[in-house]
Amino acid sequence: MGAEYAYAAWAIPYIGAALVLALYRTSRKIRETIAVGALLASAIFSTLTFLAVVEGETPLHYSIKWVESLDVTLGVYVDGLSATMSLVVAWLSFLIGFYSIKYMEHDPDITRYWFFFDFFVGSMQLLVLADNLLLMFIGWEGTGLASYSLIGFWYKDEEEKWVGDPGRTALGIPMFFQPSHSGVRAIVFTRLGDVGLLAGIGLIYALTGTLLIPEVAEKMPHVFAPLGARGLLYLFLLIFSLGALAKSAQFPFHEWLVTAMTGPTSVSALIHAATMVKAGVFFMLRFAPMFYETFHKTGIGHEAVTQYFYTIALIGGFTAFFMATQALVSRELKLILAFSTASQLGYMFLAIGSAGLLKEFVLGFVASFSHLMGHALFKATLFLAAGAIIHAVESRFIDDMGGLLKYMKYTFMAMFLAVLSLSGVPPLLGFWSKDAVLEAAYESHYQILYLLGLITAGLTAFYSLRMVFRVFDWELSKHVKHLIHEGHLHEAHPIMLSPYFILAILTLGMGLLWPTVFPEYAEILTKGVPGIEKVEFHAPHINVELTFQSLGLVAFGYLIAYILYGRKLDYKLLELLNTKKWAKAIHDILYDRWYLNSVYYLVFVKGGLIFARTLHDTLNLFVDSLYHKVLPALFSSSSKFFSKTLEIAVDKGYNVAVPSIFTSTSSSLFKILEQKVIDSGFNVKLVESILESGRALRKTQIGRINYYLAFFFAFLVVLAIVVFWVI
Amino acid sequence: MIRLGVPILLSTVLIPFVGSALLPLLDKKMGKNVAKIAIALLMYPLVVIAALLFLYHNETLIDPVYFSDPRLGNFSMLLDPLSMPLAFSIALVPAFVAIYSIPYMEHRFEELEREGEKTSWGLYYMLFIMFASAMLGTTLSTNTVEFYLFLELTLIPSFLLIAFYGYGDRIRIALMYLIWTHVGALLFLIGAMTLGYNVGTFDFFDPATGEALKGLGERLPEAFRLTVTLVLSLGLFVKMAVFGVHIWLPYAHAEAPTPVSALLSPNLIGIAAYALVRIVYIMFPTTFSSIALPLLGLAILTMVYGGLMVLAQDDFKRLLAYSSISQMGYLLLGVASITPLGICGAMLHYMAHAVGKAILFMVAGILIVTVHTRKLSHLGGLAAKMPLTFALALIGFMHITGVPPSLGLWSEVLIVVGAVQRAFEAGNIVFIGLVIGLLVAIGLSTAYSFITIRKIFFGSLPEELHIHKASSTLLISVAAIAAVGIFFFLYPSILIDPLVELISGL
Repeated sequence: MGAEYAYAAWAIPYIGAALVLALYRTSRKIRETIAVGALLASAIFSTLTFLAVVEGETPLHYSIKWVESLDVTLGVYVDGLSATMSLVVAWLSFLIGFYSIKYMEHDPDITRYWFFFDFFVGSMQLLVLADNLLLMFIGWEGTGLASYSLIGFWYKDEEEKWVGDPGRTALGIPMFFQPSHSGVRAIVFTRLGDVGLLAGIGLIYALTGTLLIPEVAEKMPHVFAPLGARGLLYLFLLIFSLGALAKSAQFPFHEWLVTAMTGPTSVSALIHAATMVKAGVFFMLRFAPMFYETFHKTGIGHEAVTQYFYTIALIGGFTAFFMATQALVSRELKLILAFSTASQLGYMFLAIGSAGLLKEFVLGFVASFSHLMGHALFKATLFLAAGAIIHAVESRFIDDMGGLLKYMKYTFMAMFLAVLSLSGVPPLLGFWSKDAVLEAAYESHYQILYLLGLITAGLTAFYSLRMVFRVFDWELSKHVKHLIHEGHLHEAHPIMLSPYFILAILTLGMGLLWPTVFPEYAEILTKGVPGIEKVEFHAPHINVELTFQSLGLVAFGYLIAYILYGRKLDYKLLELLNTKKWAKAIHDILYDRWYLNSVYYLVFVKGGLIFARTLHDTLNLFVDSLYHKVLPALFSSSSKFFSKTLEIAVDKGYNVAVPSIFTSTSSSLFKILEQKVIDSGFNVKLVESILESGRALRKTQIGRINYYLAFFFAFLVVLAIVVFWVI
Repeated sequence: MIRLGVPILLSTVLIPFVGSALLPLLDKKMGKNVAKIAIALLMYPLVVIAALLFLYHNETLIDPVYFSDPRLGNFSMLLDPLSMPLAFSIALVPAFVAIYSIPYMEHRFEELEREGEKTSWGLYYMLFIMFASAMLGTTLSTNTVEFYLFLELTLIPSFLLIAFYGYGDRIRIALMYLIWTHVGALLFLIGAMTLGYNVGTFDFFDPATGEALKGLGERLPEAFRLTVTLVLSLGLFVKMAVFGVHIWLPYAHAEAPTPVSALLSPNLIGIAAYALVRIVYIMFPTTFSSIALPLLGLAILTMVYGGLMVLAQDDFKRLLAYSSISQMGYLLLGVASITPLGICGAMLHYMAHAVGKAILFMVAGILIVTVHTRKLSHLGGLAAKMPLTFALALIGFMHITGVPPSLGLWSEVLIVVGAVQRAFEAGNIVFIGLVIGLLVAIGLSTAYSFITIRKIFFGSLPEELHIHKASSTLLISVAAIAAVGIFFFLYPSILIDPLVELISGL
């Protein structure tokens, strides 16, 4: 038992999606109930699976053959990691789905929404629970398709659905994005990485002959040995991880996530908290232990693997820092949260990368997952609350907010708890997980990793509190005043409020319980995970020095935020900054995302298009005209030439010379043969000779009977002689 | 191996082919209703081949020899897992495109009649069926002469279809198409002749033993082998529109009447990739393997070049035509990998592309009928007005970019896995080069697919765009093809497993 539950956990959302599509003509209520019901059922089955793993001994593994020649199975493989992950994914998805009922209340395209929503969740569950690399890849690609469709959900591209300031450009490249544009960005960026992942899967299959995850784990030395011998190991590991880096929006693939805000906010919550971006981290958690274990057991590729883990940690640390800087100045509520997500994902990569550099891999592993879970809770809270705020204020810009505290108390409470968790304030869950990440980075003994993580902590604190101040405190914007005047501003509907309120309470409750539940949690999480050795877990110990440093930076970030945005008396400092040129320059760099987007567009999009057009207008035209103009012209001119020269000669030859030979021959023949021989022969001599013989014969025909009789008998005699002679 | 007592396979070619000759005679009496007979004629091969697929997908089915000559060899017909994806696609797509043709050609005939041209339902369907049946004949052939004859037979009806019912400068383009593909066919013929006379038979498959005549070509004197391999391959490359000899394709496929484009673009050109395996590789296994690496490069080049050209297009049909060039690169990549998985991927991608590109050309046709334009710059925002067409276009593009749940996922996976295997064996630089090439090529395919969808279906609806109502027949026939693509995503093993086994055994 247990494996069936896991099948149900991923299959039911797919079935729900199909049903919603099939029943597109039924009432809205029916489709909503089916879609959210499927999510709830999936969550329940995930829970049952989880319980089975907690109680059971070995990982649950069940396979049905699908494509034998490629060793692809339709199977589930549930160990501690996938069970816990599936649990988090399923319940968050359900809560977000529940929230959507109200949030999408007035949208006419509900069928498409729920179809892709459930498809999304099913794909995520599939990629988590799959026992097979290719099945995982199918789920992986499914999340890509669903995210594309949902990010570009409002494909009519009305301006209020955009992300970015309409009209703003950087280096001549527009910095505002329509939903349909963001959708394309999401799928193109992530699929670039997927090619690497697929190539990696292909090579693993070629070298191990299997795609089953537990078998791949066992046979990893077969991959390492030839690659290590050929010096390709480091490169291979990076190529294999490319999909994860792109999916989880790590530098340099982070750009797609930033503009993915164009979808409904519920979708943003889904992408950031439960599905999609977490897939990359999950992938790393799944495979990094195998890499670590393999080089430790076999000793193959020590340098390459260390270098690889360092690279991953560095990418993670840099992304954490890089994205946090962009969140500092953003004017859009959802955008701040998006930058924050990419930054926090950086933490998770930092942790798993550092894990590979540690003596005890499992510490980084648990830290990474804990942060994934903690982030899932608080980021879902933040997004859902932000959705409620944007819903209420009818604007995505924080400039149009301010002073909402009075009107949306519960939303504020939830959001504030989540912000505390995000900044890593004890005793919230975010504190424990971030601390663990920083500790892993610290223990890796690469100072740069730790420093990046530490600075990010300060930046995170600043932008989170800035956001709270700008939205809830700050002076009332004109827009808000107008809304109050109209009587529009009000707390979110309970259907929307309850999910994020529950999540906020959860992030607090889990934080409070963390020290007591941690050993058991960590044991369950690592249970049966390939590549992870069984260890004894203790309550999280607090490294006082590190905690002091990180909390110090958090306090510092808060302080700056308070000085700039929190003192209602005056915002003089801020105004002062606004007048400074250098401050403006820094602001613009951060606001325009370090110009990286512009560079991408200049090089790849514009450059690619120019290259394509040029190629089309040159090479293609050249080939085209070579075949269709030059060659034909060559032929037609040579044909003209020959028709003038050779052809005329031939023409004259056949049509003049030959006929004239014939005519002259025939006329001379006529003269000789025709006139002298034939004419005179037939017409003169022959006639004459015939006439002559006629005349001679006539002499015999003189009419006498006796002559005739004499002739007759003479004939008989001759006949008789002949006859007898013969006989 | 199953020897068929009656020539069932031949009948799938001959019955529609011969039957179609009657259609022009019925034209006066029945008019548009000849379509019904035409559809019935095309449903016959579909039903038979689908039945054979589900009943005997593991088997090699051989018709009785229907013509034999000591010099030419045996003409028989063969359906095995290698030809199954092709035969099934060629049975599938024309049958539904024939249904689609009723409303579409009605629209086209009206246009042509306004231009003062004569139109005839009987003639159209006769040529259409002859074209489809001849294509089916090529994939079932066991002999190079037989293959060549069927190949030539595809040419004339398709040439006439373009010339009679095409768009733009259709006579010139039809001639261009005729000459180009003829050049390709002739190159192939030269190779085949040299091979056939020297080894004493034109068979590439022995219907008596039921086995492929592997390595037969290598009985040629060594000096000849490479040349003959290259000439055969080059002839097929022209057919396939590989980079360098691709230039005829965008003209022909863009300007052919849309139902014909839906057959030309995926079905006809991909046959060359099949012949590359079935004839060239089987005949010259070692020689072909020796040129595999340059072909791998050529494949990537074709993928990238075609993808880049797509980005420069504004005409939807021309865009699709360039996309076909890029897709032929995928097929060549799979073939050039010479691994069971890669070759299987190429054949499967033939089918995925047949489904996907047929859908897309049919969508282009729906746009022609409903909004009277194929210029992307004139289009936009159609998703709200034509949600089903949009969904179908998405499924079409999913097939050619390998996004689940479409058959394209499997073919792309197999091709990439095969190519990676081969490149890894070939050395570090080849491996790294291949991965970079794949990143660029698949990245381009993804980009142009989703950018095109955005241009046509998303954003605001241009004011000057008037949408005429489309007949539901158009949509239903496209949807039927799309459903098949999704079905085989779920049940790919029926095609993949026997095919991989077959190629591994070669």
